Amino acid sequence: MPGFQQLPLALQLRETATFDNFVASGNEQLVHALTDLDEKYIFIWGEESTGKSHLLQALCHQATQQSQTTAYIPFGHTDISHPDILMGLENMHLVCLDDVHWCAGKDDWELALFNLFNAVREAKTRLIITARAAPNHLNIKLADLVSRLNWGAVFQINLLNDIDKIKVLQERAQQQGLELSSDVASFLLKRHPRDMASLFSLLQQLDQASMAAQRKLTIPFVREFL
Amino acid sequence: MSQSPWDKCLGRLESELSQQQFNTWIRPLHAVQEGNEITLLAPNRFVMDRINELFMNRINELMDSDGEQKPRILLGIGSHAKTSAEISADTPVQSSSTQVTPKATPGKHHNSSLNPNYTFDSFVEGKSNQLARAASTQVAENPGGAYNPLFLYGGVGLGKTHLMHAVGNEILKKNPKAHVVYLHSERFVADMVKALQRNAINDFKRYYRSVDALLIDDIQFFAKKERSQEEFFHTFNALLEGQRQVILTCDRYPKEVDGLEERLKSRFGWGLPVAIEPPELETRVAILQSKAQQSGVEMSQEVAFFIAQRIRSNIRELEGALRRVLANAAFTGRPITIDFAKEALRDLLALQDKLVTIENIQKTVAEYYKIRVADLHSKRRNRSITRPRQVAMSLCKELTSHSLPEIGDAFGGRDHTTVIHAVRKVEELKETEPKIGEDHANLMRTLSS
Repeated sequence: MPGFQQLPLALQLRETATFDNFVASGNEQLVHALTDLDEKYIFIWGEESTGKSHLLQALCHQATQQSQTTAYIPFGHTDISHPDILMGLENMHLVCLDDVHWCAGKDDWELALFNLFNAVREAKTRLIITARAAPNHLNIKLADLVSRLNWGAVFQINLLNDIDKIKVLQERAQQQGLELSSDVASFLLKRHPRDMASLFSLLQQLDQASMAAQRKLTIPFVREFL
Repeated sequence: MSQSPWDKCLGRLESELSQQQFNTWIRPLHAVQEGNEITLLAPNRFVMDRINELFMNRINELMDSDGEQKPRILLGIGSHAKTSAEISADTPVQSSSTQVTPKATPGKHHNSSLNPNYTFDSFVEGKSNQLARAASTQVAENPGGAYNPLFLYGGVGLGKTHLMHAVGNEILKKNPKAHVVYLHSERFVADMVKALQRNAINDFKRYYRSVDALLIDDIQFFAKKERSQEEFFHTFNALLEGQRQVILTCDRYPKEVDGLEERLKSRFGWGLPVAIEPPELETRVAILQSKAQQSGVEMSQEVAFFIAQRIRSNIRELEGALRRVLANAAFTGRPITIDFAKEALRDLLALQDKLVTIENIQKTVAEYYKIRVADLHSKRRNRSITRPRQVAMSLCKELTSHSLPEIGDAFGGRDHTTVIHAVRKVEELKETEPKIGEDHANLMRTLSS
């Protein structure tokens, strides 16, 4: 980023993931099932950056507001370093397991998941799981675990179409105090990887760049930046 | 209502930590306040240690900034109290530097570990599970009698656990004082390890040897765990000698479990080993209808057939498909027709279609019979090749929507009449040669799960 003088503060406005700021377009049935507390076990699968983690965090947020305890386990994250982290989670009100495909082929993790699944079911605790692929396609070795993962409503999460992506970007920009016109947003969608994670990170960079340059987000500015 | 100090602290932490950190470490904590002490209960030691290491100072600071009376913060392991009885059991004794373990003596498993919904009434009977059901009713009527142990074996999700619980529930119904204990074999192992660590192995032994009926699920998980096998062997003998009932489930016949001691294998075979097979179409239909009814929904025969024809692998998957259809119905409020089910299960069925191709069937069949895919295409006509070829053709007809000429073509350019012949032959052999029937069922299951 040549030519930008003023360094912006390393302050990020961090947005709490909620159902309100999730664009459900194309996934209305999934969102409905997630908010239906009688649906005790749901498995969500889909590509990266389709909003799976957002949904889990929204559920956790909602549960905390009702003074419920929740567990959120993002597999593959460095924090999640030992299967013992899954012990006793059945005593929570809600257990959210993100990216379980990471456990596939790891004997100790598969077994820990299997045990947790049984305990959760016995305790009638709510369990929501996400992964990149459907249960039968995760290459999990433990057949007993695979059949259990199939034991509930399995949803594929759908990608947003471009119109909805623009809407989401604009909402996010607004929260950052940034004005993003539809023209600029669709310009971004044409010139940049279109998954939401990349788009969000681009927006973050643009925010900082525009702050540093004291310029508005216009097509010429964005073109220069890209 | 004013915010408690912990709620305020939570608010601060939420704004200071990353969302992932807050969700993973802070949200599971359950705060129990007593007087001027707040105990933060973590679900397990792993979480507790991490809180202690990374967040405890900050938590203390945040509580401090609250002014006047600074509460004392303790850390412990315990469960969120779903009942008040559990609170008192799990609330740790005070110790400012943590380390409180939950009470988890074997005495904690009471009869409540039986699932009251798993009864004989709610078990859908069919050809595939008739024998197992009959044996289970016998045992329920006469526990500790002739069929001891009752050994139920079969693939995943076929109803072994259901039957086992049904026997337990029935025993309890007849004798509410009976001490029936159900547990998964993994739990048996974990409890034993805990007992050993705490020097309480004698309590452990006494507990398990005092029950009237011991139900242990999935004993294949005992494989290669010698110490657990040893302990279980003695428990098992003690119970059998005392004419108490033992019921075991396993994913295969006792003799076929690798890593299990010979003496256990032979003991397990003493009573009545009985197999549960994958349910046939009619049973799957009945299961779907019964499960739908339990959820307060009537499902037509037609729709149940549609789903049951497509989901063949096991009952859990069948139930999963049903949950998905019901979830969609709850959302749209539309009646459940075949088209509706097709729409609701679209992703699921699309995945299956992707998996079941002629190529994949040939590959799976070849692997199963330990021959080469090229053999299936070849002109060879000895029986070790023709049988697998016929089974493969028949599976292609059943599982794909390819035309018969296409199928014939995919098997080394054979005529469609050869396919017709193969399909008829397999139908016939399934009746006369049990081995072929079994092969066909196994392959069907592998391909459709």
